[in-house]
Amino acid sequence: MSTVSEPGGIEALYPFLAPGPVDREAVLADLRESTRRKAAEIVELRRSLVALHAERLVACAREMAAAFDAGARLFAFGNGGSSTDAQAVVQLFAHPPSPARAVAAVPLAQDVALLTALSNDVGYELVFARQLAALGRPGDVAMGLSTSGGSANVLNAMGEASRRGLLTVGLVGYDGGPMAQDGRVAHLFVVPSVSVHRIQEAQITLCHVLWELAQRALTGEL
Amino acid sequence: MGEDPATTAVAAAFERRTGPAAAMGEDADRIVRACQEMAERFRMGGKLLVFGNGGSVADAQHVAVEFAHPVIVGKPALPAISLTTDMAVATGIALTEGLDGIFAAQLRLLASPRDIALGLSTDAGSANVRSGLAAARELGLLTVALTGGEAGAEADHVLAVRSADPLIVKEVHVTMYHVLWELVHVFYELEAAR
Repeated sequence: MSTVSEPGGIEALYPFLAPGPVDREAVLADLRESTRRKAAEIVELRRSLVALHAERLVACAREMAAAFDAGARLFAFGNGGSSTDAQAVVQLFAHPPSPARAVAAVPLAQDVALLTALSNDVGYELVFARQLAALGRPGDVAMGLSTSGGSANVLNAMGEASRRGLLTVGLVGYDGGPMAQDGRVAHLFVVPSVSVHRIQEAQITLCHVLWELAQRALTGEL
Repeated sequence: MGEDPATTAVAAAFERRTGPAAAMGEDADRIVRACQEMAERFRMGGKLLVFGNGGSVADAQHVAVEFAHPVIVGKPALPAISLTTDMAVATGIALTEGLDGIFAAQLRLLASPRDIALGLSTDAGSANVRSGLAAARELGLLTVALTGGEAGAEADHVLAVRSADPLIVKEVHVTMYHVLWELVHVFYELEAAR
């Protein structure tokens, strides 16, 4: 996970952190209000994604389902919190609630032996690209998650996946960053937010909806 | 979204999220009080121990990385460990004590009384999460449970998402622990300023 500044920093959101006498009750009231505001923010952000991505989600789900029908495996990857989100997506595809169909899926950040070996011997920017080169077959699905859209190892993996004929799916935040350039990803989902946290929350919903649609497509309902 | 049934299905899928996600706002007081007590534990030198099953394994690791490697420049790193990353330990314990004991056994080994135990479950609580929280309470830890559905787990602070869909519960959990992280830092710094 890259380290970025939230706009204005936490002090701008919570001015009582500035030195001076503290009114405890006012602080608690502010924090309750801030919590309610964040709940409202994520609701609004998710809503905005329908108009933005509905058609893209359907097209991507159909292509993924066709790939799975042809024997494709899903590889998902990201850094930090996004590595855990990739792991959760894989878990959902590989071990879904009954009666959904299980699909072969592998997370690329969870094998610590491989990850540390590649980091040590080749370089961290190639840890996912090298795995796709070893594991990926044409027709497989490569899904990369990055809030900034600029993680070198995710970008390199997307390039490797495209060259090898994998279907590429990217989830990013902000304005999409480098991942949104040059059409390097077949299906790109940009979450238009500047908060890393809200981006991750919206991305996991996009993944869940994509899974649901892919399941419908697998049973001929989409 | 027009009459296209496919895009209508997308709109419906997103709409199912709205109620449970908005309802988190009603738990604002509960969330703020949990953060206040969590910050006190960190101030006392305590650490955060996080655990869950299946998809919640990923969340446990996500929580740990949020605290130990803050996303905002200048925030102090706070000690947090996920109990779901070490497969050698987890499967070893599962063989001798059963899957239900994998978190309780690790807590007995790693925890000190001033620590915080955070268990995640998309329903009322898997057996190993419940026994982990019970062991933590016996040891004197502050216990926090992120759950879903109606029934509550046994913990000092239970934050339950109002949905029976495990995927939607998980999504609201992500927002909840992002807010937990942020408000814990607010209280932590407030104490430092006093």
